[in-house]
Amino acid sequence: MALWLVAAYLLWPTDVPGDLKLPSVDETQIFDPALLDETEDFERFLRWNDIASNVVLLVVLVLFAWRGWRFARESAAGRIGTGMLLGMIGLALVWIAQLPFAIAGIWWQKRYDIVTAGYLEWVLENWLVLGAQFLFICLWLLITMALAAPLRDRWWLAAAPVFAGLALLLAFLTPYLVPDQRDPDPGLAADGRRIARATGQQDVDLKVQEIGDLTEAPNAFAAGLGPSRRVVLWDTLLEPPFDREEVRVVIAHEYGHHESRHIWKGLAWYALVSLPILFVVARVARRWGGLYQPRAVPVALLALVGASLVVQPFDNLITRRMEMEADWVALETTKDPDSARELFEEFADTALQDPDPPEWAHVWFDTHPSIVDRIAEATAWEQRR
Amino acid sequence: MISPHPVRVAVEDDLRRSRLTVFFRLLLAIPHYVWAALWSAVMFFVGFVNWVVTLVAGRLPGGLHMLTAAYVRYLTQLFAYLSLAANPYPPFTGTERYPIDVEIEDPGPQRRLITLFRLPLAIPALAFAAVFLASYAGGSYSSGEGKNGYSGATASSIGLVWTVAFFAWFACLALGRMPMGFRNLQTYGLRYGAQAWAYLLLLTDRYPNLDPADPPSTGPLHPVGLVVTDDLKRSRLTVFFRLLLTLPHVVWLILWGVVAFLAGIAGWFAALVMGRLPRALHRFLAAYLHYVTHVGAFLFLTANPFPGFTGTPGRYPVDPELPEPERQNRLVTLFRIFLAIPAFAVSSSLYSLAFVAAFFGWFVALALGRMPRSFREAQAYALRYGAQMNAYFWLLTSRYPYSGPSLGQPEPEPEPELAPTPAELPA
Repeated sequence: MALWLVAAYLLWPTDVPGDLKLPSVDETQIFDPALLDETEDFERFLRWNDIASNVVLLVVLVLFAWRGWRFARESAAGRIGTGMLLGMIGLALVWIAQLPFAIAGIWWQKRYDIVTAGYLEWVLENWLVLGAQFLFICLWLLITMALAAPLRDRWWLAAAPVFAGLALLLAFLTPYLVPDQRDPDPGLAADGRRIARATGQQDVDLKVQEIGDLTEAPNAFAAGLGPSRRVVLWDTLLEPPFDREEVRVVIAHEYGHHESRHIWKGLAWYALVSLPILFVVARVARRWGGLYQPRAVPVALLALVGASLVVQPFDNLITRRMEMEADWVALETTKDPDSARELFEEFADTALQDPDPPEWAHVWFDTHPSIVDRIAEATAWEQRR
Repeated sequence: MISPHPVRVAVEDDLRRSRLTVFFRLLLAIPHYVWAALWSAVMFFVGFVNWVVTLVAGRLPGGLHMLTAAYVRYLTQLFAYLSLAANPYPPFTGTERYPIDVEIEDPGPQRRLITLFRLPLAIPALAFAAVFLASYAGGSYSSGEGKNGYSGATASSIGLVWTVAFFAWFACLALGRMPMGFRNLQTYGLRYGAQAWAYLLLLTDRYPNLDPADPPSTGPLHPVGLVVTDDLKRSRLTVFFRLLLTLPHVVWLILWGVVAFLAGIAGWFAALVMGRLPRALHRFLAAYLHYVTHVGAFLFLTANPFPGFTGTPGRYPVDPELPEPERQNRLVTLFRIFLAIPAFAVSSSLYSLAFVAAFFGWFVALALGRMPRSFREAQAYALRYGAQMNAYFWLLTSRYPYSGPSLGQPEPEPEPELAPTPAELPA
């Protein structure tokens, strides 16, 4: 426990000055009231849709934990194979139950032109995602149930480093798994090289992902570890209303993630957070004979998802701090707070992000600081100079 | 008890083939191509007339029935000749006897609702018939240009009957005889095709029967068999997600397959030197073959439960029987990979049959919670042949796969209980 707290303490600090006071920002002075209404309407529906979807998720998993082990009769496999089947069936039932909410979410985003993909295309993609989830749960159960054979209820102690290792591998491979990447145009590439030098990340490539056929939302991300590191911009960012200066801010933000070693830190946080989650899963599963027994799989699935939902606000807090730090690096690199503010303002217009969401929703759902906070951070940086 | 299908195939072929007519078979049939095309054009309109008349009268009138039955018989006889399933030159009338012949019962009453929707109802049957008899159901593909371009054609787009005919042509020229397994497999396809045409053209409202053992035929004993203890019941939930549920097995199959491939190479060298496959390799490859069959059966809905990952024999409702290690002819072992090519082609075609049965079976199993027996039997046949082919390829047996639908002697059929005719009923 002490080790855990020490590790968390060491990971907690960021480069954002501890004494930084964010100035108060009045969103009504910046945004058109009609846009504020629109973003609020847009996000409110999605928020409640997500909450309903999560409630259904828990209800389905509770029912599955209660009766799901009966599906073991559909298996001719051994202990682990039967556990895998139960895990996949649990996810399948969740998928069926959540499908209406997912469709409602897509319908809503299509209504606001945020998503442009057709329903059929989306369902097909969703189906493939379910396949990936099946593979993930099978791997998860293979590891945990295999470890439960020699270690019984202490499997979680060995499983946590194994999962951390797998997360490390996945983080390394992610840049190679992102589809439809291309090299940037010469101008953008030159901007990328300048920012990479400024942040000391000369060996990190800049790529563009062509995703405009599926969505209008702007996005970018930093991915990879060591030689696989790269920054990927969605091509939706390269269209108006975003200008070159704003795109530079985005690039600097993503290089900031690499400079601040956020992927390594994210992995470390994952390892730390997964320990208590796996412990809870092991404790809950013990009442059903431990994860050695396939009949404990449904209840383990419930515990896993339930514990993940409980720590979600904490996860979000961690990522928000990292995003804040990446914004700070971007400001230090570009020294262009005006473009940063304009960029954040345009996020409200193009992605219909609520600039100042309710606090509870911010804590529960948001992995990034609110637009108002980001604008305030840019202003605070300017004031410190 | 289910009465026999009103469209049946009678086989009086002695397997002997004239090498000369086999060599020129496709050219000799040219007059038949012309005649078949003309007759088919007429039957297009006759089929429509049949539909209207049957819809109104509830049965097909005698004259139209006779004309349509002659057409179905003629096509079957012609296809039997072309595919080398029979030897003599076929008659043009469709009314004379032929070694591979179709027996069609007299016209009977037909349900009007089924008649009304006959065309959409016939779609699965036509899809199965295409698997057997389509001369080119697929297509070539190409993409890109220059050295980055690629192109090809799917071999499975050739109907099963024609795939067999291709290899049979060489066999007949060499031996002057048609291999019995090939002939019986073609008879199965021709029988299904005749039943599908008869259904489409309203000779009967009885759906074509995909069961390869209907009627049972004879076949040799083979060291590789398939034990089916499945009860046809299916879980709708696992049927709906069957494709995705198979994913972990696909991953494991690929990983195991890489090791099995290396083990197969080692086994090949060992068998060349020792004249037999070492017991440890035999056990390893046999487990892999069990596993391949289990996963295939799960994926195709041939069986219901989720299979294990170890390929343990006797743990799955569709399980291959494999022989113990045996002495093998070194020369045959040396050329095993080339000798297996015809079996591989036939197996691929049979798997396309199993796939189509899985496709339609998916809808049926979702609706009824059961897999149709005939679909399951056709798939089991494909899996059994696949197991024989794999066992031969992986040196688990030196016995060549038998392509006919039946293995061993069929069980004696019980005497059918004939329903009394009205005249026999007590007054």
